[in-house]
Amino acid sequence: MRVALLLACVAAPLAGQSVRSRLEGRVPAAAIPVVDSLVRVAGREGLPTEPLVGKALEGGAKHVVPALIVRAVEARLDQLRNARALLLRGGDAPPATPAEVATVSGALRRGLPPPVVERVVGALPSEPRESALHAIADLVAHRLDADSSASLVIDAIHAGLRGGRLLDVSHAVLEEQQRGRTWAESFARVRDELPDVPPAPKPGEGTVQRARRPSSVSKAPTPP
Amino acid sequence: MNPIDPRIHQALDGEIPREALPPELRRVVERLASAAALLAATPEGRSVADRVLARLRRHARSPVRRLARWLTAPHPVTLRIRPVWSLALAATLVLLTLLPEERSALVLGEHEGIAQFVARFPGAHSVQVVGSFNDWRTGTIPLEDRDGDGVWRAVVVLPAGAHEYMFVVDDERWVPDYSANRFVQDDFGRENSVLIVRPVKG
Repeated sequence: MRVALLLACVAAPLAGQSVRSRLEGRVPAAAIPVVDSLVRVAGREGLPTEPLVGKALEGGAKHVVPALIVRAVEARLDQLRNARALLLRGGDAPPATPAEVATVSGALRRGLPPPVVERVVGALPSEPRESALHAIADLVAHRLDADSSASLVIDAIHAGLRGGRLLDVSHAVLEEQQRGRTWAESFARVRDELPDVPPAPKPGEGTVQRARRPSSVSKAPTPP
Repeated sequence: MNPIDPRIHQALDGEIPREALPPELRRVVERLASAAALLAATPEGRSVADRVLARLRRHARSPVRRLARWLTAPHPVTLRIRPVWSLALAATLVLLTLLPEERSALVLGEHEGIAQFVARFPGAHSVQVVGSFNDWRTGTIPLEDRDGDGVWRAVVVLPAGAHEYMFVVDDERWVPDYSANRFVQDDFGRENSVLIVRPVKG
């Protein structure tokens, strides 16, 4: 117990320090203290902090004024709180995991109605929902009905599909639509095929480079 | 020349008893008799050569020591090379050296996947992709237009999951990927494209 307390006392300032060091030189100095305090609040509430840091870095890279960066980070924190509340309403035992909070928050940002997200949370208890939510969001982004899309993906879950295979479901529906079928026909055809939907094509051949998160570099962003 | 006394022969042959000899001759006869007994006790069938080899084997080194000695000792080697094979070997080595290092060293992790970025920007001098996967930092993932047709490409290993990103054209123009089909408001008045990377091993 004492060791845990000691570790918590040491880890908290260190985590804060690492956030500041990631922001310095890349985010306007005026925004850093507020962003830093918002990140600490999120950490204390058990929410994921990376989306907040990422949003601040994005604002800095896009040369957004400090006030707008702070406002965006605050909005992101509210979205994470709403996502956690939705997860708990959907049946997840508290505390919801930071990864699932970020996933649900991302789905809400992509425009999925909260009741639809809640249905998916209930259909996949204690399992990753990222692919399912993105599959539904992909269909909704193509102006397909959110409830029907959720029903199809939940049927696919009941048919045993998980992870990336759920993205194959939405891909198959969109392919059927491109062949000239109505959305109802497309849904019906793919539902009949479950669980044997065709896999989506993979990225083509080419020179592959490895993306790295260059946190150790602290070069200032290039001015526009 | 020191002729042997005939009485010694007779005593050794048992023709006269040893006690009949004078003391000095009797000692000689006893010495010769013990020498003859010693020779008779030597096992038959083991020649001098056998005994020498047996002793050499006893002193021979263990196999490990012999191997170590063989490995460390210099050995003369005769190498006969045909020039055509030498040239082929040299060309292979040059090709291996010139091949892109990333391609040969690429090993995907369990939670990684491959993303392909393709964008059409005719007349652009540089295009790069920035996003949540590289902390929105420019200068890390450039796209290439090798044939100059205005279509820029990059194939990148990314962590599996959803990523928001944009293209940066000529280091100043931020443009979403309109072919992505997934967009989200960036809270700064623009839209980010959304990419979902599936794990290769998933």
